[in-house]
Amino acid sequence: MKVRAIDIGGAIGAVALLALAPVLGNSGYLTGVLTLCVIYAIWAASWDFMSGLTGRENFGHALFIGAGAYTAGFLATVYFANPWWSLPLSVVVAMAFAVIVGFPTLRLRGPYFALAMLSAAAIMQRLMLIFWEQTGGEEGLYGLEPLINSPLHYYWFVLAVMVVTAAVLMLLARSHWGLILRAIKGDEATCQAAGINVTFYKIASLMISAAFAGLGGALYAHYQLQVSPPLFSVITSITIIIMVYVGGMGSIWGPVLGAILLTLLTEMLRGFGEYRLWIYTLVLMLILFFLPGGLVAPLWRRLTGARS
Amino acid sequence: MSETAAVDAQVRGAAGVPLLAVDGVRKRFGGLTAVKGASFTLAAGEIVGILGPNGAGKTTLFNLLTGFIAPDAGSVKLDGHELKGLAPYRIVNRGLARTFQLTRPFLGMSVLENVLVACLAPRVRHRMASEEHARRILDQVGLREKAASPVEVLPYGDLRRLEIARALATDPRLLLLDEPFAGLGSSEIEPLANLIKRLHREENLTILIIEHKLREFMALVSRVIAMDFGEIIAVGTPAEIVRHPRVIEAYIGRTEGDGAAA
Ligand SMILES: Nc1ncnc2c1ncn2[C@@H]1O[C@H](COP(=O)(O)OP(=O)(O)OP(=O)(O)O)[C@@H](O)[C@H]1O
Ligand SMILES: [Mg+2]
Repeated sequence: MKVRAIDIGGAIGAVALLALAPVLGNSGYLTGVLTLCVIYAIWAASWDFMSGLTGRENFGHALFIGAGAYTAGFLATVYFANPWWSLPLSVVVAMAFAVIVGFPTLRLRGPYFALAMLSAAAIMQRLMLIFWEQTGGEEGLYGLEPLINSPLHYYWFVLAVMVVTAAVLMLLARSHWGLILRAIKGDEATCQAAGINVTFYKIASLMISAAFAGLGGALYAHYQLQVSPPLFSVITSITIIIMVYVGGMGSIWGPVLGAILLTLLTEMLRGFGEYRLWIYTLVLMLILFFLPGGLVAPLWRRLTGARS
Repeated sequence: MSETAAVDAQVRGAAGVPLLAVDGVRKRFGGLTAVKGASFTLAAGEIVGILGPNGAGKTTLFNLLTGFIAPDAGSVKLDGHELKGLAPYRIVNRGLARTFQLTRPFLGMSVLENVLVACLAPRVRHRMASEEHARRILDQVGLREKAASPVEVLPYGDLRRLEIARALATDPRLLLLDEPFAGLGSSEIEPLANLIKRLHREENLTILIIEHKLREFMALVSRVIAMDFGEIIAVGTPAEIVRHPRVIEAYIGRTEGDGAAA
C-alpha cells in the first residue's frame, strides 16, 4: 500500500500527542503508564515484523524480552557495568537466542517453530528459578540504575526508540525484503521455485525481530529497575500476540497502536477490581470475533478512504 | 547401428554435450515406485516433451530434477554439475526453473509483485534492476496490462502465463513446464504455444514440457519422452511416438477417449 500524506500526518499527530500527553496531563502516573505502553509497542511491532509478515507465529516472544531484560540485570548486578551497555548487549543476546531456536526449527514446516519458541521461553522461566543463586529466583535481580533519571525524559527516550523501531521495521516491510516475507507467507514452495532462500529470510527476520524485542526488554528492565522470571512467561507472549491481532497484523504501525490502546485499557480497568479481567476479555473477544482483521489498522484505512 | 545405440543417440539429442543428464533416477512412495530409474539427456537448445497418462510419474520426475523431492537413487547433472542434494532454490539459481501443474501464485499480491519475487533471486538480482526486469518479463508473456491486478482476479489462462513468467524471471537456461496447457480453452492454446516457441527461439532456452495429450505439443517439440507407470517406455520424434506400440498400449489400452494419437 502506498504511503499517503494523511498517513504521515496521522503518524506525526499520534507521536506528538504521545510526547505531549504527560506534560499536558502533568502527571507522573501517566508518564509511567505511557512508558509501559510504548515498550509494549516495541514488542508488538517486533513480533509483527517476523510473524505478521511471514505467518510463522511466534508463541514465545517473551524469550527475547526476558533475554534482553536479564542481560541488563546481570550487567548491573554482576558486572556493575555502565547501564548504557545494556542496550547493545541485550540486542546481541536476544539475537543469539533467535539463532539457537530459529536455526533448527525454521528449516522445518509445521508447528515446530511455534512450539520451540513456546517451550524455550517456558524453559528459561524455569531456569531462572532453578539457578536462583545467580538469578535471584522468584525475586529476580534488582538494583538496576535508571538510564535517565527524569522519568519524563526517560519516557521521551523510550518513545524515540519506539518511533525509530517502527520506522525501521516499516521501511523493511515495504522493501524487497518485506515482499519476500509476504511471499513466504503465501507459499514457501513457490518461493523456492522463485529461487529464494526461504530459511535464510525466516531466520534473519527472526533475528531482527529478536533484536528489537531484546532492546525493549532492556528498556523495560531500566524502567522497572528490576527483572523477574514472569518476563519469560507465556502470558507476556500471548498479551503481545493479542495486541498485534487487535492492531491489525502485518502493518507494524497497527500493532504499535494496538499495544498502546490495550495497555491503556488495562490500566483504566484497574478501578474495576476483580471485574477487570472479565471486561478486558469481553472487549477482546468482541474485537476478535467481529473484526478478525483487527481494529486499528482497518479502521484507519476505512476512515481515511484508503483503497486496500 | 544397433537398436540400443540408435535409441541412445535419440536420447542424447543432436548436439552431443548434454545440458541436462539424468541417470537412473528413482523414487518410491511407500509401496508405489513413482519413478523407476529414469535416464535421459537434453542437449542445449532442445525443446522436448514428456508424455504419459495420469499417474505416469511425470510431475514426480520434475520434482526430482528440481530438488522438491529427494531421489532414492540416481543422479541429475546440469552442465556436468551434480544437482542431487541441493535445495530447490539453489537449483533454480543454477539455471533450472520450473512451473507447477496446479498454478501456485502468491496470494495477496499483484501480478507484478508475484514476478518481482523471482527477480530477487540471487542469480538475477545483482545483474538487473529488479522492477524493470519484472516488467520486461510481463511484456514477454503478455501480462503487461495486468501488472497491477491482484492475482485473485486473474483469469485462469493468465495464471498459467504468470506461472511461466515467474520461472522466466529467474533467467533459466533450462525451463521445465508442467502441463502448461492444462485447463485452457482451444482459443488460448495456440497463443501460449507460440509464446513457448518464441521463448525457445529468442531466449535460447532449453525447454522440457509435460503433457498427457500428445495433440497439444505435436508441433512444438522435436522429441518426446514417453512414460508409463514410472518408466520411460519410448523416446522419439512425435511422429514416431504416436505409432509406438507401447505408447498406443499405454493410452488405448487403458484410457479410451484420452488417446495420444487422437
Ligand atoms: N508426494 C507423494 N506421496 C505419495 N505418492 C505420490 C506423491 N506424489 C505422487 N505420488 C504418486 O505417484 C504417482 C505418480 O504421480 P505424478 O504426479 O508424478 O503423475 P503425473 O504423471 O504427473 O500425472 P498427472 O498427469 O495426473 O499429473 C501417482 O500414483 C501419485 O499418486
Ligand atoms: Mg502431473
